[in-house]
Amino acid sequence: MTFNPGIDVPDELSRLSLGQDTPPRIRDAPELNNTGTIPVDITEKFKKASSALQPGEIVKDEFFTLFESVGALEIMDPKMDSGCVKPGDEFEELYDVSKPLLPEEVLGIIDQLLCHETVFTSVYVESLMMPDPTHIEEAVFVRRGDTQADAQPMLQVLRAYCLGMLKACAYVNERVKSEHYYEEEDFVTNTYNRTLLGSLSTADIRAELNDAANVVQKQREHLGGEISEALSSRLKLRDIFLSAAECPQFVAQPDLARQPWETALMLLPTIKATHGLSKQVDESFSVKLQRKLASTVPPRPIVKLSFENAFGHLDRLFKDGCELINVLSYTNSQCLQTFLRHFQAKKPQPLVYVRTLLQTFLFDAMEMLGGMSIRMIMDDDLAIVSLPASPYLDRANDDIEVLHDPRFIISQQMEAFRKRAAEPFLDIFRTFCQNRCRVRRTLCHNIERWDQLQADAEQLDLELQARAQEVNLAGQKFSPNTIPVEDDAWSLSMWTYLYKLRQMEWIVQLGFELEVYQPDELAGMYWYLSYLSKTRIEYVPRLRKTLTERVKDLRESPAQNRRNPAVERQMLRTLEWIRLSLLDAVVTWGLSEALASLYTACSRLELLTPPPRPYSNDELRYELRMKPFAKIETPGPISFEQFAAHTSQQGVSTEELLLEASKAMTDAKKACESMSKMTPEESFSVGSHDRWLASIKNTLKSCIATGLAIATVQKAMREDTRGGKLKLTVEVPTPDKTYHEWWIVPKIAPEST
Amino acid sequence: MDSTEARQYLQGLLNKDLRIHTTDGRMFRGTFMCTDPDTNIVISKTHEYRQPSASQRAAAAQNSSGSSVTLDMTSRFLGLVVVPGEHIVKMEVEQFASQMRHSTAIV
Repeated sequence: MTFNPGIDVPDELSRLSLGQDTPPRIRDAPELNNTGTIPVDITEKFKKASSALQPGEIVKDEFFTLFESVGALEIMDPKMDSGCVKPGDEFEELYDVSKPLLPEEVLGIIDQLLCHETVFTSVYVESLMMPDPTHIEEAVFVRRGDTQADAQPMLQVLRAYCLGMLKACAYVNERVKSEHYYEEEDFVTNTYNRTLLGSLSTADIRAELNDAANVVQKQREHLGGEISEALSSRLKLRDIFLSAAECPQFVAQPDLARQPWETALMLLPTIKATHGLSKQVDESFSVKLQRKLASTVPPRPIVKLSFENAFGHLDRLFKDGCELINVLSYTNSQCLQTFLRHFQAKKPQPLVYVRTLLQTFLFDAMEMLGGMSIRMIMDDDLAIVSLPASPYLDRANDDIEVLHDPRFIISQQMEAFRKRAAEPFLDIFRTFCQNRCRVRRTLCHNIERWDQLQADAEQLDLELQARAQEVNLAGQKFSPNTIPVEDDAWSLSMWTYLYKLRQMEWIVQLGFELEVYQPDELAGMYWYLSYLSKTRIEYVPRLRKTLTERVKDLRESPAQNRRNPAVERQMLRTLEWIRLSLLDAVVTWGLSEALASLYTACSRLELLTPPPRPYSNDELRYELRMKPFAKIETPGPISFEQFAAHTSQQGVSTEELLLEASKAMTDAKKACESMSKMTPEESFSVGSHDRWLASIKNTLKSCIATGLAIATVQKAMREDTRGGKLKLTVEVPTPDKTYHEWWIVPKIAPEST
Repeated sequence: MDSTEARQYLQGLLNKDLRIHTTDGRMFRGTFMCTDPDTNIVISKTHEYRQPSASQRAAAAQNSSGSSVTLDMTSRFLGLVVVPGEHIVKMEVEQFASQMRHSTAIV
């Protein structure tokens, strides 16, 4: 999908996603023997002129800066100039690609190709790609002279494997380049101006892979069972990878899309088990090949991963790919968001290729998940969060053509809202497809737009209410599949506000995950998180009372008066959603409150001391931490004085503080326990329930660990009779050493004597 | 040549395409951006040209039937480079044949 920067894409994404600007294709080298230009020798004159310059003086183009010149490659410096040939050294790599190889060696080269960071240092790859083959028969190791070489069975296997691999690289490169990603940060798509077999068809390459597999079969007796198994499983994997790369064509048939990923997973154990048979051929790789690559960067040493490591990547790639297909089974927009959040929070994060594939599934051709309009997803979401079975979302309104009919106007205004909200809403989905640092950064920009949207939504809410009343007054009726919205319901602004609050919470929580905050800042940041989630707790139930009453009314009304059962289902779904988000907010509030108090207690007891900071103070640091929220109108910014007072809780004794912490933790724990019993439907995690549940269980563990830490401090305080510093050690773990990255629970233990 | 004249001459060459031959036999063609008293030269949008290697020449000779063979220089794109003065053996400026008929200003 190509975005039109600045129109479809938020500025932040389009500006930073350098991958969107396809690098200008390098012009072919100018013809030297062109009759139009004549080279004129100026060696003597130039040298004389330059030596006549004053020492330190330079002559340069006025638009050329010395800063730029720092990036220039220094010719003849072996560290900078990949084309520099040391005296006595050969320019060409003299490895003979036509020499016969043992089956073990072919296996070795194949596995080495898997382990190398770049394939451009392989002599075999180079001979296949240069010059760029226009036809499959040209893509052979030896193009001139000994044409028999490529007919050797083992070279045939290696050639097919390399072709399959290069095509796969081309697919991956194209996929990554067509979506949002960050060049260098996520992925390097640079191919040194090579085309990766652009003119060869995938079908041809698959035929080669197939032929090679047959060759292996024929030679089975000669090769031995194990090694032929090893070779054919690798050829098979290449073939399957090509199918996997083409899986977006089955976006509407998840089972077909999943197939190649699953087949690949079944092959992997054989590949791993047979790696031991291989014999490396190190001389078939050479840094010298970089001399032929169009490269504006200095030469790089060959980077090799261990086989275990490289295989781990492969294994993860296919596992993640398999799981990714679940996204295609759409249940509702909230389940989709749960899937996205938990899939992308995996540690380690899914590979860039999988993440870009996810983007393709989500947004390809302005359709979500291969067939849903953005309106469908948005209406679904609005219906879950704040407008169950609402006449505002009724498509019947679209059919009214009378311009002054209030229902027509409602339809128009809802469309206006959708237009305004679509981008910030979809950006939540897009954002979660990025790497974790970018998720946080992009959310910081997104909340500002949600803040503006909220103001618009309030305006629209008022107008919609007025129109809804007009419908009543005029004696008109909405379609019977809907229930009227309450007069005082601020449905659109409520929806907007809840999303904004959630995103603000995520920003703080990702701050913990990404180690943005120092240990002595944790008390304050957890307090701020508890403040945000408390705002959410106060805000969520607004709808609940009226909804509960309505569901009751509906149930008690005589059967013939009952409306469409779909109406009841929608209202129940909203009630479930409210319950879930209340519990979620309670967990966040309780645990952050407990941790804030615990960290404050630790710093009062001098168990945690801030590092010396000669050039900074608490106020400046606070300003920095609050920068993402500074422009947000509601909830408004909190002054440093208020923040400091809340964090330090001067009026409360340490004993009381710990008692409060313990209570808050118990609330969070209870909420967690109720959540862990929820079904996938109730928890809006259909399609990712396991992952969601694991996250809840980890939060529960964090609650328990917090409780233990609080108890340890309380015990030490009770037993302490001589005053002075408590005999406790406090260790603030890094996020990867905690149960849940968002909950940095300190490890507190009695000092060992 | 005094320094004013030298500066003027060099400034006149700015943004012209230069061909710089180095001690190892390569040639670099790019747009002249900057130089200093040691004749270190910065050129942009540079392509590197290399004479065929001994093995390439031998292979070509073997494959051809005639008495002489023609081999293209291999080239690749490098971007912005600085060629240190000490490695420069020859410098050429590219001039349009059509303009050369009318003026010989640069040489």
